[in-house]
Amino acid sequence: MAFKTRLLMALTLVSALLLGTGCATVQPWQRGLLADSCMVFDANNSAAYMTHWQESREGSAGGFGVQGGGCGCK
Amino acid sequence: MGRRLFTLLFTGLLAVPVLAAVPKVAPDITLTALSGESIRIADLKGQVVLLDFWASWCIPCRRSFPEVDALHRELQPKGLTVIAVNVDEQQKNAYTFLEKYPHTMTVAFDPKGAAAQAFDLQAMPSSMIVDRRGRIRFTHEGYTDKTISQFRSEVLQLIAEGE
Repeated sequence: MAFKTRLLMALTLVSALLLGTGCATVQPWQRGLLADSCMVFDANNSAAYMTHWQESREGSAGGFGVQGGGCGCK
Repeated sequence: MGRRLFTLLFTGLLAVPVLAAVPKVAPDITLTALSGESIRIADLKGQVVLLDFWASWCIPCRRSFPEVDALHRELQPKGLTVIAVNVDEQQKNAYTFLEKYPHTMTVAFDPKGAAAQAFDLQAMPSSMIVDRRGRIRFTHEGYTDKTISQFRSEVLQLIAEGE
């Protein structure tokens, strides 16, 4: 294997390890931003109407996973 | 030698659940109240204290906050002290919430989460009931229909225990 390739691989590995240490757990009391409505994937809430329509049509209410914006509230 | 080691390990394992059941002393932290005064948890010994951690963004807190305030009004004459600890990073959000929800209980702020960390919060909202000796006797995570009645019976139990 060429020296350059090995160097590149080593650099990639070191960068990945360094970036890995940047990961942090968001604590329950730090979830204010995650709970903001702008953090919801579907901001205009059209999916809710689609789900409601589908639930009525298919008789499958409650079969579409969980709701919430990520605040982790219980 | 091996037998003695085994006995020691076995006794140690038996002691684990017993030690886990021993109530923990509430961390000695100081909070700043809405009024500006400092509240040191250790100074509240002799009182039954309900610490209620809440945030403006926490949806169940919109229900728990007024109900905990009502419990405060009901049981304060019997010896309950309620401290509603706000963990909003942006305090202005807490002020907006407080304008909507009038209260009589003490509200304190923990914007950096020092108290939340010291009490090892696992969910929002979380509440701890501390006895007169300063030990955390009950911990609640989340808020359901039954929570407020559990608070009431646990607080009354601790009040009845006396010093």
